[in-house]
Amino acid sequence: MKLERQQTPFHELHDILDHALSKSSDKRVGLLTSITGGEIATLLLSPKDGTAELMVTAVENNKYSSFSTHHAQFHWFERALFDFFGIVPEGHPRFKHLLLHDQYAQDFFPLRKIDLPTDFRNALPRRYEFLEVKGEGVYELPVGPIHAGVIEPGHFRFSCFGETIVNLEIRLGWVHRGVEKRLTEVPWQKAHFVAEAAASDTALANAFAHAIAIESILDLEITERAQYLRTIALEIERLAVHIIDVGGIGTDIGLLGISSAMGRLRGKALALADLISGSRFLRGFIFPGGVRPVSERKLSEIKAGVIALKKDLTPVIQMLSDNQMATERMKDIGKLSKSLAAEFGMVGIIGKACGIDCDTRRQFQQGKYPELAPEPSIEIGGDILARTAVRVGEIWSSLKTIETLVDNCPHGEEKVTVPEMLPANATGLGIVEATRGELIHLIFTDEDGKICRYAIKDPSFDNWTAISIAIRDNLIADFPLCNKSMALSYSGNDL
Amino acid sequence: MLKLITYLLQQGVATAKNICPDLAEGVIGLPMLTDAPCQSGCTACVEVCPTDAISVFNIDDANHVRLDLGACIGCGYCVDVCPTGTIKNNPTTRVAVRTREELILTTAGAAAEAANKELVTQGRTAAAKIPTADSLSKASWFGRSVAARVVSTGCSACDMELGAAGNPIFDMERFGVHIVASPRFADALIVTGPVSKGMQEALVSCYGAMSSPRVVIALGTCAISGGVHKGGYAEANGVDNILPVNVYIPGCPPHPWSIIHGILLAMGKEHLALAKKK
Repeated sequence: MKLERQQTPFHELHDILDHALSKSSDKRVGLLTSITGGEIATLLLSPKDGTAELMVTAVENNKYSSFSTHHAQFHWFERALFDFFGIVPEGHPRFKHLLLHDQYAQDFFPLRKIDLPTDFRNALPRRYEFLEVKGEGVYELPVGPIHAGVIEPGHFRFSCFGETIVNLEIRLGWVHRGVEKRLTEVPWQKAHFVAEAAASDTALANAFAHAIAIESILDLEITERAQYLRTIALEIERLAVHIIDVGGIGTDIGLLGISSAMGRLRGKALALADLISGSRFLRGFIFPGGVRPVSERKLSEIKAGVIALKKDLTPVIQMLSDNQMATERMKDIGKLSKSLAAEFGMVGIIGKACGIDCDTRRQFQQGKYPELAPEPSIEIGGDILARTAVRVGEIWSSLKTIETLVDNCPHGEEKVTVPEMLPANATGLGIVEATRGELIHLIFTDEDGKICRYAIKDPSFDNWTAISIAIRDNLIADFPLCNKSMALSYSGNDL
Repeated sequence: MLKLITYLLQQGVATAKNICPDLAEGVIGLPMLTDAPCQSGCTACVEVCPTDAISVFNIDDANHVRLDLGACIGCGYCVDVCPTGTIKNNPTTRVAVRTREELILTTAGAAAEAANKELVTQGRTAAAKIPTADSLSKASWFGRSVAARVVSTGCSACDMELGAAGNPIFDMERFGVHIVASPRFADALIVTGPVSKGMQEALVSCYGAMSSPRVVIALGTCAISGGVHKGGYAEANGVDNILPVNVYIPGCPPHPWSIIHGILLAMGKEHLALAKKK
């Protein structure tokens, strides 16, 4: 989607946000960031009509009055804004660094393009202070950054009373690699490879959102066949991740037969990825202008593979949902209320499990969606059981959608010629429903047509707070299962 | 539970008997160089390469290609554009090596060796103090089994493929490979990802907590060279800037068979990875 940068003064922005985020409005915040460090850019989405608006507000004296005090969803955006640009959100209730750790210099703001005011001093220490819970018998349990299994690094600081978790503070940023900066440094024709490296199991969705954003800036129409193939690939990625995540629930409950069966079946989903793209992670398949060529023979093999996979998955998933022990382990554990989920702007699986219809496939243009978007998988429980049910629902709908798409996929070219230059001062937006939820890529070009700011909002960035909320007053032994049911991305969040 | 056991029995043995077979047709592996002479003046591969893993140079008026598999993310675009077939898709999954030098291929042979060596040290941070590698006097230290600790510092694609290497199809446990939850009882440290600033301290303490002898395996292109992240402000330039590396497994991410090949190499059991002919 091509956007205009609407210059909006602060007092107007406050009113717009108050109105847009009130209970009667269906708008939501896409992201909040800056372009050069001299302004803040707020992306407001209207899911109902599939549109978006971008407000750019000049910042004076390098600070502004924080939005987090009124709208909880901003709390991490504003901390990241300070990390990367040095803009101070005054009055932020928990103001500290988010992604850049002690190793970075005190006044280092990597994405800032303009000079800091001469009298500016970063008063915030790099050293991280965790929220301390006081009281007799309350103790702290630090976990990470390196975890026991083969997963990404993050630090969890539990404050417990007995076996009950009183508070959980999550510290991330361990795998911050500077992806957003790198995306502005490489030639834009090669940027899709960097976008794919943002998060492994979201590689295709990232390339997809990147391509949508670039193509919107270029006013480029891609072929109908490419739209179909992109959508098929997106669902294959979703399928592979959901299968392993449902299997992971089996691991954490102790049903190892389920998890090993699901691990094997994920291999079959990855074989579909191999068929369409030649890569198990669908790398290099989508690029601005189209997709890699796919033969008709491969498409029919994909359809046969999907039908076989459906047959293979049915008994395994049935055994998990019929298992009373599994159901009791999941029911009413790690519960998140709909009102808090809405207030914090939760997206994807977590939002859907709380009864929020936030499936962007039905809202924003992406490939063959919303035209051929499947029915959303919505639950109301808000607990581990509901999140697992949403995943299972999406496994079935993805399988069905791939079949429909393969049946209707037209013949023709897979790619169109792409111009060599991007237009100057343009803004492009790509929204894709990745496995975990709403993924946003926002691209700004400068007066020379070079990408001067590239912002990515992974669904996990919205959703990490959900774990802290959902696990409160639960047993510490339930944390691994609750964490697995959310299955959030560390690398997509840290970038 | 009975249903589950019955189901599992019905499924039979899923484990592949053929170890480290070649990739199926149409699957993109790492590129390889062939004997076909490179076309003079052509730089098509260099232009499409996303990580500057390819360079073209001239010796005696002949065009030559240098390909650093440690920087390659296996996108296959160079294979698509090469007009002479000098660069081809390599279907093998046995890609792990013991030294960084072995990952740098050229069509010029011995004539380019000096420049290859230079490339290895190029990206290193001058100030880095790398601990000396443990001497492994007996190649068979871990010949029977190896307990591996995994530290993830990247996008986690390599972690997922490592997880897949432990699934019933690839089943690396049959070679005595165990993933363990503490460095205290680990023989091998498997590092995925480019080790950016945030994880450097944690990685070094993890290595320090392991007892000798220990081996370090750099898993994936990011861990080898930083991949697409190389040279940025987060200093995500790979493991061998920080720790001595014994085995390199290239790929982005490497195939589960390649991971198994790399671990077998670290154990001195790479002969097991020689695929049987069908």
